[in-house]
Amino acid sequence: MNVVMLERVVSVIGAIIVAGTASVALRNDWRTPGLENQVFKGMLALLALGAVLAFFAAIGVLGRAP
Amino acid sequence: MAATTVEPVDQLYNETRDLRLSGFLLFMVSDLVLFSSFIFAYLYLRSSGQGWPPPGVSRLDTTFAALNSVVLFGSGATMHFALENWKHGKFMKYAGWLIATIVLGIWFLCGQGWEYAHIHAGWSNSGIFGASFFTLTGMHGFHVFCGVIFLTILLLQSVNGKYTQQKFFGLTAGTIYWHFVDVIWVVLFSIFYLL
Repeated sequence: MNVVMLERVVSVIGAIIVAGTASVALRNDWRTPGLENQVFKGMLALLALGAVLAFFAAIGVLGRAP
Repeated sequence: MAATTVEPVDQLYNETRDLRLSGFLLFMVSDLVLFSSFIFAYLYLRSSGQGWPPPGVSRLDTTFAALNSVVLFGSGATMHFALENWKHGKFMKYAGWLIATIVLGIWFLCGQGWEYAHIHAGWSNSGIFGASFFTLTGMHGFHVFCGVIFLTILLLQSVNGKYTQQKFFGLTAGTIYWHFVDVIWVVLFSIFYLL
């Protein structure tokens, strides 16, 4: 396994874990009131989105190779 | 009926907490404006120029950036767990997750340094496009660096007993700051590596 393939595998596994945990945390906090929790919810949603983007970049669907 | 007494310090904390939260969020908004101005300048240049990257400049390494992004996004998740564990009084778990966040932040910075050192041919004289890339990612990296310092100070303060389960605004502010840094990277990662 070369370095690029290793980077891809680690990125894919990491992105799945991060997207999953962010989504679960978002679901658990969904009904919490207060300004700070609203901010956290928005940021967790964007974090999950970022992990999904990184997943697609790692498998080569988004972005292009150098 | 038993009367509940509130210490003056706690009362002051409760009364000013929302104000401090609003102030910190305003600070984040001002930072967002700073990033937005550079991001829109880059997008304007890109839409009116010769495309991205310019002729003679090789594309950025998306695979490595994806890995580095996952590291930073992972640190957002660990920071969230750190705050949740603090709220539930689990100090050791809190400390573990916070240390993990700091380590992942340092890992991201090392990754960015490695990328700068190994960036492909043509970037040294790539004009305003290269300047946009280095300015935005450098400014973000500086924010991550400040965040690492911020979180380290929070860790030391919490070890020294500055925060309680009722009074922990510093930890909330640290979490907001770290999530902000993550969210900015979602945008930068998208516009530089994916578009």
